[in-house]
Amino acid sequence: MLLPKSSLLVLFCLCSSLALLAQQNITGKIKDAVNGNPIPGATIRVPNTNRGTISDAGGNFSLAVPSSASSVIVSSTGYKTKNVPIAPGSTVLSVSLEEDFARLDEIVVTGLATTIKRSNLANAVATISGRELTGVAPAQTFDAALSGKVPGALITANSGAPGGGISVKLRGITSIFGNSQPLYVVDGVFFNSNSIPAGLNDVTGAATSGSPNNQDNPSSRIADLNPEDIENIEILKGASAAAMYGAKAAAGVVIITTKKGKAGKTKISFNQETGFVKVRHLMGVRTFTADRAADLAGAASNTDPQVQANRAWYRYKFEQAQAAGKIFDYEKELFGETGLVLNTGIAMSGGSDKTTFYLAGNRRQENGIVKNTGYLNNSVRLNIDHKINDRISVSVTTNYINSSADRGLTNNDNNGVSFGVALSTTPSFIDLHPNALGEYPRDSFANSNPIETRDRIINNETTNRFVGGISLEGRLQQSTHSTTKLIIRGGVDYFNFKTMALFPRDLQFEEKGQQGHSIQGNTNNINTNLAGFLVNNFSPHENLSLTSTVGATLETGLLDNILTSATNLVSGQSNLDASGNTTTRQFRQKYRDNGIFIQEDLSLLDAITISGGVRFDRSTNNGDYLKYYVFPKGAISWNLTKMKFWNIEKINNFKVRAAFGQSANVPPYGSKFTVLQGSNIGGFPGILVGNLRGTPDIKPERQSELEAGFDISMFNGRATLEATYYNKRINDVLLQHTLPGSTGYSIEWKNSGDLSNQGVELGLTLIPVNTAKVKWTSNINWWFNRSKVTKLLIPPYAIGAFGNSLGTFYLEEGQPATQLKGIVGNELKLIGNAEPKFQMSFFNELTLFKNLSLRFLIHWKKGGDNINLTQLLTDGGATSADYDDLINGVKAGIYRPNAGDAGVYVQDASYVRIREIGLYYNIPLKNTNIVKGLRVGIAANNFFTWTKYVGYDPEVSNFGSNTITTAQTRGSTGISTGVDVMPFPSSKRASFHVGIDF
Amino acid sequence: MKKHIIYILGLMLAVSACQKGEISSLNTPTVTGILTNPSKSDLFNLVTGTESGMRNSLSAYFDGVSVIGRESYRFSGSEPRWTTDILGGGSKKLDNNTFYLTNPWNARYQVIRQCFILLDALKTTRNEVANDAQKKAFSGLAKTLIGYQLLLNLNMTDSNGVRIPVPDKAPQGGIIKDPGQVLDSITRFLNDGKTDLTGAEVIFPLSDGFAGFKDAAGLLKFNRAIAARVYTYRKNWAAALTALNESFFDLNGSFTLGINHAFSTNGGDLINPMFLPLNSTGEIRVAHPSFAADINPLDNRILKTALRSATASQSGLSGTRDITVWPTLSSPISIIRNEELVLIYAEAKIQLGQFPDALVAINRIRTGHNLAAYSGPSTQAALITEMLTQRRFSLFMEGHRWIDLRRYGLLGTLPIDRPDDDVWPRYPIPQSETNE
Repeated sequence: MLLPKSSLLVLFCLCSSLALLAQQNITGKIKDAVNGNPIPGATIRVPNTNRGTISDAGGNFSLAVPSSASSVIVSSTGYKTKNVPIAPGSTVLSVSLEEDFARLDEIVVTGLATTIKRSNLANAVATISGRELTGVAPAQTFDAALSGKVPGALITANSGAPGGGISVKLRGITSIFGNSQPLYVVDGVFFNSNSIPAGLNDVTGAATSGSPNNQDNPSSRIADLNPEDIENIEILKGASAAAMYGAKAAAGVVIITTKKGKAGKTKISFNQETGFVKVRHLMGVRTFTADRAADLAGAASNTDPQVQANRAWYRYKFEQAQAAGKIFDYEKELFGETGLVLNTGIAMSGGSDKTTFYLAGNRRQENGIVKNTGYLNNSVRLNIDHKINDRISVSVTTNYINSSADRGLTNNDNNGVSFGVALSTTPSFIDLHPNALGEYPRDSFANSNPIETRDRIINNETTNRFVGGISLEGRLQQSTHSTTKLIIRGGVDYFNFKTMALFPRDLQFEEKGQQGHSIQGNTNNINTNLAGFLVNNFSPHENLSLTSTVGATLETGLLDNILTSATNLVSGQSNLDASGNTTTRQFRQKYRDNGIFIQEDLSLLDAITISGGVRFDRSTNNGDYLKYYVFPKGAISWNLTKMKFWNIEKINNFKVRAAFGQSANVPPYGSKFTVLQGSNIGGFPGILVGNLRGTPDIKPERQSELEAGFDISMFNGRATLEATYYNKRINDVLLQHTLPGSTGYSIEWKNSGDLSNQGVELGLTLIPVNTAKVKWTSNINWWFNRSKVTKLLIPPYAIGAFGNSLGTFYLEEGQPATQLKGIVGNELKLIGNAEPKFQMSFFNELTLFKNLSLRFLIHWKKGGDNINLTQLLTDGGATSADYDDLINGVKAGIYRPNAGDAGVYVQDASYVRIREIGLYYNIPLKNTNIVKGLRVGIAANNFFTWTKYVGYDPEVSNFGSNTITTAQTRGSTGISTGVDVMPFPSSKRASFHVGIDF
Repeated sequence: MKKHIIYILGLMLAVSACQKGEISSLNTPTVTGILTNPSKSDLFNLVTGTESGMRNSLSAYFDGVSVIGRESYRFSGSEPRWTTDILGGGSKKLDNNTFYLTNPWNARYQVIRQCFILLDALKTTRNEVANDAQKKAFSGLAKTLIGYQLLLNLNMTDSNGVRIPVPDKAPQGGIIKDPGQVLDSITRFLNDGKTDLTGAEVIFPLSDGFAGFKDAAGLLKFNRAIAARVYTYRKNWAAALTALNESFFDLNGSFTLGINHAFSTNGGDLINPMFLPLNSTGEIRVAHPSFAADINPLDNRILKTALRSATASQSGLSGTRDITVWPTLSSPISIIRNEELVLIYAEAKIQLGQFPDALVAINRIRTGHNLAAYSGPSTQAALITEMLTQRRFSLFMEGHRWIDLRRYGLLGTLPIDRPDDDVWPRYPIPQSETNE
């Protein structure tokens, strides 16, 4: 919402009726004040008229200016807006723009249809430009590219599986059982970000004993979005900024604007990235000796002759293997592949004064660090902006995405079939490799042969998705003091998501069991949104401006998931018919939400901004679907430097601000019903009361956020500090609270408590060096959040993970929402907290001689504990790398699981990570007409990490983040990240980049 | 212009209001829906769901009581707690908030809740759907199953207590820690069930797990068989014998005659959760070494286990014999069968001092399993030992040994495999019950 909007407005006014007045033609060039580079796309406007133009690729412009005009206003994204006087009679203007280091003139969205300059903004809105998102070291998926870039957010990769899966939590814990992930709005279209499980639970049984939550590790649909298409992202972190999004905004709103075309010559750019991906870290495996191998059969002191015979047998097997040189590192074999990364993008943009377009195609292809895994994403985008006449303009965005992810079989399982769980019990001295006939030996230590599983299973997710939006803006009236606009916006997000999980019948764990699984899921999802706004600008005086907005919104959604699980397969077949038994399950959810709002913004002296609004929302997911819930908001900011009395020259911007707002999270679909689930026997259809008791009068959880802070910018913007404190309270928190099992229900939906999140966000931007030859920009963010359960109407209870003996999240009044409790000795004790103490990010960009630039992003997460059950499993399977180290005189791998202390596996997951580092060179071109620009670069992603955490990665989540609830398993909760159970190991990437502009 | 604005605003409101109405439950029926004027198939579906639901989380129940009772080991690559918590390995204790307790506990009460919903639904059932005698069959079955399901939870927590279930939305009572008092409540549910089943007419379908017992008379016999078990636990020997006589007890009948949980690989059905293939690795259920060590070499009940091709070991424990009680994915799991009733008869007779009658039953068991008739002393103590031994092998892996030894205060006789292991006398009461 930066440049395109303002330039559109200007263009929109171009064909003005003032053409008859006397005028002169002015030509000129817009340049960067420091390095003298031309600035393309800058807006040149005649004040108080509708006249304006945009500079071309060389920074040149030509504009007819009425002879009465004494100046023009020149603005461009990232530069300070400048009022340039026109000397009488002159027809040539040369304008140097100074970079707007503090981004004070940036336009930020504050309402659904209104914007405001950053210098007057009352909230701390994080903005990420397309260049910051992908310009350093492109990540695999859009969601991964956000990591470390959003102050106030806790962003965690759920696993390293190809195709992404990221949890984004803005300003702490906003919901526990409701939606905890932000709303994504792409060009006004509500973009679905669900994760839909593939039914792997039928094979893994992961959700059948310790936890009912799904652990299939599905990818998030937000990963479909092509990061290269993104112009800009704005992140509204809480209700004070996002209140106008009403009952969907509690977890924050991520507003994504994709690239638009600019009038002028058609520009074609081609980008190619070639690289590789490798496992970030391996945990290592235990080094066996003959004695250690023998111990697997039982202690040396055991008097049972069978045990002694087995000890001898294992010893013999080990010695045989050692003599034959057949000691294997299966961890390395499974996770040690190097995957090729290919990312090709072509974008074409341009247009005329009336119509502009942006057309882009992108293909991302990469192989995973595990054989037979990988990710492919093809995306085509066409954005068109067209002015029907000088009053009405229309803007259309379309995006087709085809993505495919092969994700292997990882995460928790109860049947010993996933890669990691099988690996955890498999010692190095047995041979799992296929013989010459391609037959895999049976793993005598695990239920499955992980090498066979890897080579022969399929776990694929394929998405075909269309996202389209249309926006119509019309000027209803314009007079000297007021303008009235009508904006109508509609959008559709449709996808078909096909999952295919195939386990042939002769796999080790299938041959004597269910003899093959073919699990195929088909999900159709459609979300629509429609909104209309009337915006009136009224400026009775040059120092006073009032903007009034009224609007109505409607959103609908329908998800239909059909999953068929076939077992006892016909040999070699995957077709569902070619099986002995099939079970089909269907899960549908549907909602309809609508809202009405009104907002008033007042600007005084361009220094004081007061804004107020109220929104009324209702949803079919609420107990009372007809009831409108009311969400007010208010904000005030005062930019002292714009006041007449301000006379400190060194400080060129100082603003104090405060904002308050309310928003909500509607209850999840179905929370008002107590369902009777299918439960058949003997060929008869049966229904059994579900263990989740619905609440017929369920209400949305309501969030109230107060945020206050100041922004100060000194030394001509070369040092900027943004400081924000927030206090976010969530009332009527939606909980699935545990009922005494003796009621027949284990849990119940209930609005049953209050949460609070308090935190501080500090952002410091420095430009220590800024010369024509060297420029160094440094951006330091530091933030923390403290969440607390302030009221709990129900008894404290364990809400996640795998029970008290292994450490669990535990909701308790007066305690942090993220505390971890577990059994120590014989008591339930506090053993950790998943919330980081603080986080810090450090972004630097060093530009040398205009063309060479080095960029890097360091991310430090201090504190925050994980529940490391990966270590528990390797200890249990006697394969931990440090199994034989001594703790209190006992082998570590024996000591830890038997310590009777759940705290042993609750471990600090702090890290310092160079998330991104890139070195780019713009090759200077001379005398070329065709090629306009040529860039080369090398980049590395997650390449360097310092952590004491022993798992594959400190960022992990066995339960995913946005997994939907289906007929069989429950979705993710807002708290359960950080549970580590044999995830897909995370990877690091390095790539070489070539970009050409035509 | 104002008119335009009003017109457009009106249009916007019209658009937002163009869809109306509540969105109902798209995936399943709801409890509220079924409680008003249910149809015949609604009631049938509830009965089927009840029968089916009794099988949920059965494996956690059987594995728990069998491993604590040192009948078996459960080795699992993915779940170390079968060899730590359950056996009291190291300083580990039983967790009051994890799957091996909460899953079966909740599943049993869930079936009880369903039975109460069925009873509520009957209240609004029209006579054209089911007449009084037909309704009585529904309610008789529901009450019988409430009693049986509550018994299984009492087996786990014993004097740590259970709660007596109440109808939907009625306030819950406290935790009853006196097992005798709970057994009396169970008896009341069973006796109410008996009253209803007497003269009732069954119209609902049951799976073949109830083969031979699908009519009202059969269900009555099932009810009395469970009652005989409850009276035995209550040490009310005379009542146990009376109940036996009203059940399908047959001193000379087939040991396997009885009521089962049926399983199948059909779509929507459950497979036997206790089935594991022979010689499996990773996920293993083996007999405790003492089973083969203690059994008489002639005893054919050794065939409830089979020698593995390779010893299974985990965490310093090992076993050489797989359990073959359930040889296929669709093998039934017994709820109660004649062999137990014969042994209940023996127990009651021993306790009442009627040793000759008891010996007839004991010898019926012994000879039925290829053993010679009992030749030990005819003292009450010796006969109790003999009866418990026969129960141990006859009802192997059917969830009895731990409870039997607890009843007779003999848990201390169970073998301890590793120095720090414990034999738990009972499970703790689940955290969710006390957390108030």
